[in-house]
Amino acid sequence: MNMYLYELRAYRNVTIIWIASIVGFVLLMMSMYPTFASDAEAFMELFASMPDSVVQAMGIGIDSIASLLGYYSYIFLYVLLCGAIQAMHLGGSILSKETREKTADFLLAKPVTRVAIMTSKLLAALTLLLATNAIYFAAASLIAAMVAQEPYDYGAFALISFSLLLLQLIFLAMGIAAALLLPRMKTVLPVTLGTVFAFFVLTFIGSSTGDGLLRYATPFHYYDRAYMIQHGGYETGFVTASIVIIVACTLFGYRRYQKRDVHAV
Amino acid sequence: MNLYGREMRAHRKSLLIWIAGIIVMLTIGMGEYTSMEESGNAMNALLADMPKALKALMGIGELDIGTPLGYYGVLFLYLLLMAAIHASMLGAAILSKEERDKTAEFLLAKPLSRRRLLVYKLLAALTNVVIFNVVMLVSSLLVVGAYGQGETTAPAIVFLLMGMLLVQVVFLTVGMAIAGAGRQPKRAVAFSASAMLLTFLLSMAIEISGHIDYLRFLTPFQYVDAAVVMDTGIEASYTLLSLGISALSLIILFVGYNRRDMK
Repeated sequence: MNMYLYELRAYRNVTIIWIASIVGFVLLMMSMYPTFASDAEAFMELFASMPDSVVQAMGIGIDSIASLLGYYSYIFLYVLLCGAIQAMHLGGSILSKETREKTADFLLAKPVTRVAIMTSKLLAALTLLLATNAIYFAAASLIAAMVAQEPYDYGAFALISFSLLLLQLIFLAMGIAAALLLPRMKTVLPVTLGTVFAFFVLTFIGSSTGDGLLRYATPFHYYDRAYMIQHGGYETGFVTASIVIIVACTLFGYRRYQKRDVHAV
Repeated sequence: MNLYGREMRAHRKSLLIWIAGIIVMLTIGMGEYTSMEESGNAMNALLADMPKALKALMGIGELDIGTPLGYYGVLFLYLLLMAAIHASMLGAAILSKEERDKTAEFLLAKPLSRRRLLVYKLLAALTNVVIFNVVMLVSSLLVVGAYGQGETTAPAIVFLLMGMLLVQVVFLTVGMAIAGAGRQPKRAVAFSASAMLLTFLLSMAIEISGHIDYLRFLTPFQYVDAAVVMDTGIEASYTLLSLGISALSLIILFVGYNRRDMK
């Protein structure tokens, strides 16, 4: 319990900064929605007169982009980007900082098992991410309600926003795995940014090739927002894939942490 | 000079990883062009009438994605982002790592003034950034050239890459100033990277909104707008502005680092 509270305190400020910047970004982007919607309206008419093959090539999201949900889906990619960096950085640093800051032998000499250490750290990270998502969701709902011009499907909005948490969990697990895979993580940020941006860029490249197995390669593709808007749910295959990644990385983390050789200072 | 060699060796591995990243990114990215080309003219007609904000959302801007060069222009934003990440992290890390690894005392006890130390580190970082840029340039020329049908693409790419170098130098010097003159060496890399990310998001916001163009000077990502740079080169005002930002950062760095108490 002490370790849990300690970690919560240690990461409180960072989490507040992350929440503030993500909410600020959504506020900025959503405030442009009204002008954007009127621009796009005219274009949609033209779009309707186009042959089907062109519509196909442009991708499915486009016919809904003038709507609030469509616009939100596009912006949401950047929210996901920030969220992924936050989560992976948290996962990577919460476990590796003890060795980096030479406090590992102090902590390990306490009468707690390694499993207990790992569990409290994981729970702390989880709590921080849950808090981030709860506040984000409340703020995003409020912002959406302010800029909406027509009623929109709140269920789909909630589904999209909730996928932030799911993606963050994947990246948290990957951060933990990375922290334990590398013998000594001197700095967390380069590893985090490298991984997240590699996936992010893959997303853009993969998006024009459509679905298929390539979508499994990048978590940013797991929760397709056009699908959520249309079907009101997540795709089972990708939910399974996320759970597999999360469980595998966490188990690997526990096993490795119990056996790892920690250098005294 | 020893310091320069040491820094070059210390950053060699990460530079090699970045270079591999550039090459993969370019080949996969341009590989997508083939699928784009097939849907050809109808797509262009549609894009011509698309509102600016919508194009910005899709990352197209004012480029003609029907040509290899135009498609490269779309890709360029992400290449630029890669370069910015590299430069801003390198700049902050090359100075702050001494305090992080507790080697600052060792280094500063050597018969080497702080000014010289900064100069060597700056030179090493610049060399890294230039190598990054040259690799990007050469592989871009090769990859884009492979897709072209004889049209000259080289001058446009050279312009773009010169712009990239400017952006790299801006983020590098700002990162060094944050690490060298700031009081929190442990967080320097994080500060530098978040400053960079913030300007990237601001750049996206400017593109999408279309109403806040007057904020363009705030974000280096806007200094090298691919569509403009490919036609006419980098605007002189933005070149001066980037050099000004870099010069200012260097002044802050040299003055601040000399007075700093090492942790």
